[in-house]
Amino acid sequence: MEYDVCIVGSGAGAGPIIFELSKAGYKVLVLEKGPWLKTEDFSKDEMTATRRDAYTPRLADECHVIEKKDDGGRWSKESTAESGKSLWNGNCVGGSSNFMSAYFHRLKPKDFKLFTEYGEIEGANMVDWPISYDELEPFYTKVEEVIGVSGKVVPHKHLEPRSTPDFPYPPLATHMVSEWYIEGGKKEGFNVIPVARGIISQPKDDRKACYLSNYCGSFGCSSDAKGSSRAALINKALLTNNCEIRPNSKVFQLESNSEGIVTNVWYYNEKNEKQQVSAKIVVVAAQAIETSRLLLMSKSEKFPNGLANNSGNVGKNLIFAGGGAGSGYIDYADIQEPELSKFKSPATFVNQSLLDFYEIEDPTFNGKAKGGTIDFLIEHSAPMPKARTAKMDGERILYGSELKTSLHNYFTKQKKLRFEIFCDWLPNDDCHVTLDDQVKDKWGDPVGKIKLGFHDQNIKVGNYLANKAIKVMQNIGAKKITYSITGNPPTNLMAGGCRFGNDPAISVLDKNCKAHEVANLYITDGSFMPTGGSVPHTFTIYANSFRVAEKIMAHLQNMQP
Amino acid sequence: MKEEINRIKKKQIPDLYQNLTTWETNRRTFLRGALLTGALTQISLFTSCSAELEKGNDLLTSEQATILTNVIDVFFPDDGNGPSAKDINAFGYIMWVLHDSLGRSTEENDYILEGIQWADDTAQELYFKPFVELTDEEKKALIGIFTDLDWGKNWSSMIIFLILEALLLDPLYGGNINEVGWTWLNHTPGYPRPTEENRYERIMEKQLKLKA
Repeated sequence: MEYDVCIVGSGAGAGPIIFELSKAGYKVLVLEKGPWLKTEDFSKDEMTATRRDAYTPRLADECHVIEKKDDGGRWSKESTAESGKSLWNGNCVGGSSNFMSAYFHRLKPKDFKLFTEYGEIEGANMVDWPISYDELEPFYTKVEEVIGVSGKVVPHKHLEPRSTPDFPYPPLATHMVSEWYIEGGKKEGFNVIPVARGIISQPKDDRKACYLSNYCGSFGCSSDAKGSSRAALINKALLTNNCEIRPNSKVFQLESNSEGIVTNVWYYNEKNEKQQVSAKIVVVAAQAIETSRLLLMSKSEKFPNGLANNSGNVGKNLIFAGGGAGSGYIDYADIQEPELSKFKSPATFVNQSLLDFYEIEDPTFNGKAKGGTIDFLIEHSAPMPKARTAKMDGERILYGSELKTSLHNYFTKQKKLRFEIFCDWLPNDDCHVTLDDQVKDKWGDPVGKIKLGFHDQNIKVGNYLANKAIKVMQNIGAKKITYSITGNPPTNLMAGGCRFGNDPAISVLDKNCKAHEVANLYITDGSFMPTGGSVPHTFTIYANSFRVAEKIMAHLQNMQP
Repeated sequence: MKEEINRIKKKQIPDLYQNLTTWETNRRTFLRGALLTGALTQISLFTSCSAELEKGNDLLTSEQATILTNVIDVFFPDDGNGPSAKDINAFGYIMWVLHDSLGRSTEENDYILEGIQWADDTAQELYFKPFVELTDEEKKALIGIFTDLDWGKNWSSMIIFLILEALLLDPLYGGNINEVGWTWLNHTPGYPRPTEENRYERIMEKQLKLKA
C-alpha cells in the first residue's frame, strides 16, 4: 500500500502533520524508532525518568560522537558511550514532547529578521527567515487552542502582535514566590510577567487538567494536561482511522531515484529486520541531529553527499538555546509565620519571566543587540539532584554524620530558587552534524558526529542577562547566589541543520520546509530554523508544523490525478 | 604509611568512570550494558532478605559483603540523625543495582568490586590485617584516606550516590523502607507513584524492545 504521507518521528515537529492530514482524510504512516509508551506507562518515578535510560536509547547501542574544543583550544572528539553525555531526549511515541517543561514563548517579529535588524556578526552565519512573524502568527494561535496553552497576556515592551486577546486557558496555580519575583523586579524597574505553558489548566476533550504534580519537566504527564504530541495530537489522529503508528521502527535510509524523488523509506523493525514502505510525500521530524544524520546517510547517485545535500548545507548551522542558569537560596529562618507555612509548600510552578532585555540597548554592545529571556523558577521537586548538591562541600565529598546533617539542612531549612537564561545560539561554521567515520550504531550505521562550537556573543549576552536576573534574586532575599553561563549547549533544545531559505545555495529547505532538491521531502522538526530565537523552540516547532501541514495538503491536492 | 599512600595515589581511574559528575547529573547512566536476561526475576530477593544477602551471595563473597556493609555503615551511619544505611536497606538496594542487567554492565559492577578489594588490600598494607578485622576507628581512618584520593573519591562518590538512591527513590526498588527517607527529609513524592506494571524494568524492556 502506498501511503499519502510517511512521517519519520512523532514528536512536536511530526504531531501537527499527523493530526491535520489524518483529519483531512489522507492516509498517514508514522515510523517512530522508540516504543509506544501510553499515559499509564508514566509515573513520577525518578528511577525511570532520570536515573536510568528508560526513555532514551542505551548509549552502548546508539551513541553520538561529540567534538569539542578542550581548554587548550584543540578540538578533540569523544563518543557519548564513553562520556555518558547523551544527546537523546525522548525515544518513544510523542518524542521528547512527552518530557518537556512546556515553557511556551512565541518568537518576536524581530526574531524573523535578525540580519536586517542587527546586521552582520563576525563569525556568525546570520540570515533572515524567509517568512515573517505575521505568516506564523495564525499558527501560534492554533497551537494555543489545539495543544492547549495556559497563561495570561499582559502588556510589555516586547509583546508580539496577537490575533486573540489572551490564551485559551487561564494561568496554572503558582507558588507564592511568583509574587516575590514580580516585586523583586519592580525594585529595579523591571517588568516581570507571566509565562505561558503548553499545559492545560482546564479539561479539554479526553485530557484532564493539570493536577500540579510538581514533577513536570523530564517526567511524562499522567493527566495528559501537558501538550505532548502524543496526548494532544496523535491520540486524536488515531480516532480518524487514517493514521497508523509503527513504533520500534528505526528509519535508516530514504531511497531516492534519478529524478530526486524519495521512492522508499527503509527502516529496521523491532526484530531488526530491514523493511521498506513508500508514500507520496515523506516528512522527516526526527529532531535536529538525527534528521540531518538520516539525510546524510541517504546517499544515491543523484545525491552522493546525502539526500538534498548537493548544496552541501545539510547538517550545517546546528543551533541550541544559548545562555545558562543560576540559583540562590531562601532560608526558612528568614521568613515569619504564617508566610513560612505557605512558602514551604511543595508547589514548583512559578511561571514568571523577564523579557525587558529581549533587545539590549547598552553601550557595551555598541548600541543595540539581540538579548534574550529570563525565566524564574523553583528547584525541581525530584530529590536526587538536591541530594547530589548536599553531598558536596565545595570539592570535598561529605560522608557519615556530616553528610546526613548536610542533607537534612538542604531539604528542611531552605528552598532553592532558580533562573534560566535563553539567548540566541549564534549559528556558526563550528557547530554542525556530520557522519562519524569510525563509530557505528548497533545496526552498523555511522553515528552522527556533532561539532559543538559556540560564538562568544552567546556568553556575552548570557552574562548580561544573568546580571539582571541576579538583581531580582537579591531583591527577594536569595542568598548564596551563583550562576553559570557557558558554551555548553542544553542538549534538549536543539534546532537547525537543515535551514529554510529562499536561496538554494545556502539553505536546504524552501520557505514551505520542502527540500529544494527533492520534490517530495519535507522536514518539520526544529531543523528548519536558521536562528532559534531567545526562547525554548517547541512552541515555534509546533506552530511551523501546523503551517507546513497546510502546504503539504495543498501539495497532495495538486498531485491528485 | 606515606609511601604506601603515595603508591595508592597512582591507582588509575578507568576512563569509563572518570566522568562521575555526568553519571550523577544526567538522566543517563554510564556505560555499555551487556544484556543478561533473567536476572531481574530476583527482585524480591533484594528487597526482603538483606540479612541473608549480607552473608554472601552470587556476586559477593561473605567477606566482600561484610566489607561493603561496613563501608556503607561508615558512609551513612546510625548516628541518631535520621535513618541509617540499614534502615534504608542500602545493602539490599545496591545488590539490586548490581543485578540490573538492563541498565548496567558487568564492567560497571567490576568497578564496585574493585573498590571492595582495594579496601581489603589497603587494610593489609597499612594495618597488616584484613579489613573485616579492623577496629571501627581503623575502618573510619582507612575510609578517610580513601576519600582523599582521586580513585577512592570517585569510587566513594559512586557508592554514596547509590546510598542516596536507596534513601530517596521509591520504596518499590527496595530502599527507602516505609518511606523513611522521605519522612526524615519532609519530602513529598510525585503522584502517581510507580507500580509493578510501570516500574523501571518494565519501561526499559519496552525501550530495549524486549517486550512490545
